[in-house]
Amino acid sequence: MPEGLKINKGAEDAVRGLLRSLLESGRVNGVLALGRTGGANGGVAYSLFTDPGAFVADGAALPLLPFMPANAGGLLSRLTLREPLAGPVAAVVKPCELRAFIELVKRSQGSLDNLLLISSTCGGVYPLDVGANGGLKERLPRYWEAVKQGVLDDDVRPTCRACMQFIPDNADITVALVGEEDLDTQCTLFLNTEKGAEFVEGLEGTSLSDELETEQIKRSHGQRAAYREELFAGVEVGMQELIRTFGRCIGCHACKTVCPICYCSLCYFDSQDCEYLPEIYESELERKGGLRLPPNTTFFQLGRLAHVSVSCVGCGMCTDVCPADIPVSTIFSKVGASVQALFDYQPGKDVTEEIPLMTFEEEELAQVAT
Amino acid sequence: MNDKGAILPAENGVEAAVVGWLKDALNKKVFDALLIPVEVPAGDSFAYLLLRDPALLENASPLPPVMPIQGARAISRLTMRGNGSKRIAAVVRPCEARAAIELTKLEQAHLDNLWLITVDCPGVLPLSDYLEDPAAGAARFAEASQRWDRASMRPACQTCHYFSMPASDLHVGTLGSADGTVFVIPGSPKGERVLEDLNIPLDVALDDWTARVKEMERAQTERRQQAHADLRAGIAGPDGLLDVFSDCINCHNCQRVCPVCYCRQCYFESAALKLPPENYLTRSERKGALRFPPDTLLFHLGRASHMILSCVSCGACEDACPMSIPVAQVFSMLADRAQETLGYVAGRSLEDPLPLATYEMDELHQVEQPYVEIYHKREVQDA
Repeated sequence: MPEGLKINKGAEDAVRGLLRSLLESGRVNGVLALGRTGGANGGVAYSLFTDPGAFVADGAALPLLPFMPANAGGLLSRLTLREPLAGPVAAVVKPCELRAFIELVKRSQGSLDNLLLISSTCGGVYPLDVGANGGLKERLPRYWEAVKQGVLDDDVRPTCRACMQFIPDNADITVALVGEEDLDTQCTLFLNTEKGAEFVEGLEGTSLSDELETEQIKRSHGQRAAYREELFAGVEVGMQELIRTFGRCIGCHACKTVCPICYCSLCYFDSQDCEYLPEIYESELERKGGLRLPPNTTFFQLGRLAHVSVSCVGCGMCTDVCPADIPVSTIFSKVGASVQALFDYQPGKDVTEEIPLMTFEEEELAQVAT
Repeated sequence: MNDKGAILPAENGVEAAVVGWLKDALNKKVFDALLIPVEVPAGDSFAYLLLRDPALLENASPLPPVMPIQGARAISRLTMRGNGSKRIAAVVRPCEARAAIELTKLEQAHLDNLWLITVDCPGVLPLSDYLEDPAAGAARFAEASQRWDRASMRPACQTCHYFSMPASDLHVGTLGSADGTVFVIPGSPKGERVLEDLNIPLDVALDDWTARVKEMERAQTERRQQAHADLRAGIAGPDGLLDVFSDCINCHNCQRVCPVCYCRQCYFESAALKLPPENYLTRSERKGALRFPPDTLLFHLGRASHMILSCVSCGACEDACPMSIPVAQVFSMLADRAQETLGYVAGRSLEDPLPLATYEMDELHQVEQPYVEIYHKREVQDA
């Protein structure tokens, strides 16, 4: 049974209080969390905070805001890519962002050293277009009401409504939110690691041993599973269907740009290898009578599926940024689920487990050979 | 240049007339292939197709209701590594033709064997509006373009004043044409040769077309200046710009879809900006917080300084922005000012040299003033 700390404050206040005291006492050098950008239209972005003042009531930081302007897994990679952190930095991220970061660490795109990872049981995030131009504010009362009851607001990202992994793996501290009816006045922090316990030392609260998996959470699992089935049934992932669906793709590759797993600094499809001589187009024209320009529309998507599906964490960034309204995330999650099942692999679960494509077993996948 | 054109019958509408004419040109081997927007199989968008088989023209649409991909990008992909051996007619919007001209000057396209063909343009719908219901979008577009009503078009199209003939080789004039006809207007000797080969004599005066275009240009220019003045009032200064871009999520999709932003890898995505953690923490300590990833506004300013002189105000950037930031409106405002300062109009002509690639001894003295007046004076005083 995990160790917890019950704090007599609302969840938002408790988390802000913890982060403020960590910065004030110098126990962390910085905190990566969501916050207001200060723009008149209420823009929200991740920021690396060093001033504890951001975490007072009405400060700029909004660590539990149900919004994902970027997958923070990618941001933690950016922060620790060149070298590991020299001193402790805390990060407040969603479970799928944490999973993405673990996948990136496995790919040598970041380091867990000196990171204090804080996450929460997750009620989902709103799509980017809901959050644009200050639209998030009016949704928040409704959102937190749903979270308290352990249900999902209908307007969160579809991928969030279908998310089965809303309890974070690998967090040092987990903030209990889903199904916590009294989260306005009480907050339970689960201390999953020694590091987590060490950093909350001195924080006022009652120690307890409790189960994170409450009845509400089990119920939420069931609801999400049902929606997931419905969502996946809505997309076909056979070759012909993919060609048809991606027919309206504009080749902007925004899905790749925001995908935390797509870490290549230059995608093959944007490289010189894909800048063909006129003769290549002319011979294709001769052969087929017609060809689409720019080329490689569905090929790009298939290439990306081949590269990322085993590690796809289903965060939904790709769907949100698609200018052609293609349900990219649903397609990638669905294909990802089948690939991950094939290899019995859960992305972001265990940093020591090797990525399936990096390992080899003599006796496996005989069915593919036949 | 010849100030005469030809009249083509268009009883079944402009699109059918253009497609029929091009099909004829393809069959007569005047062109080897066409690059033209074609409806995708699912019927929910359009894509540029390079085709030699006239049967593929069945779903072609010279004036589709949307611009999913800026046509200059398609032209650049095709010709970036040199002129091909096939004679290709590319049917594009005026702003796509202008971007293709800019890309040619930037050595990202080659037009020797490519004919730019344009049509008087009523604008395009924002992609997301159209995708909500493609059939309804197409109907709305058809109806609005009939009346030259730009209210439902992209914001960039609403204030477009270069909606007619750019430096294209051939242009189809629909403004001022009699019912059931369109004008065909050559814009280059290359274009004239095509009409000769097709036995289309240039014997029609273009006064009606010219008058209508001029009149609409005047009205659109006024609208554009007003829109830019309104916008400038709201966003002037660094704080105003920070506000406009405060929702930006750094996806760089504006850059990705911009026809003029041709760098294979943007500096802002390069290893040069992937810094050790200490760098970020030190920058954060200066102000108490550092937006992450950093350099949001710097990216937009950097992009503007690189491409603004070639910006054709097509609006592709705004269409692709997931946060509904009025990128195209801001950039078109900046572009007009920058281009006016250097006496340059993006895409007007292949002959105008790119301002940043040329140098004149005697120019832009007004920019020198602040230094002389402010800093030099101070330096003298301090000394």
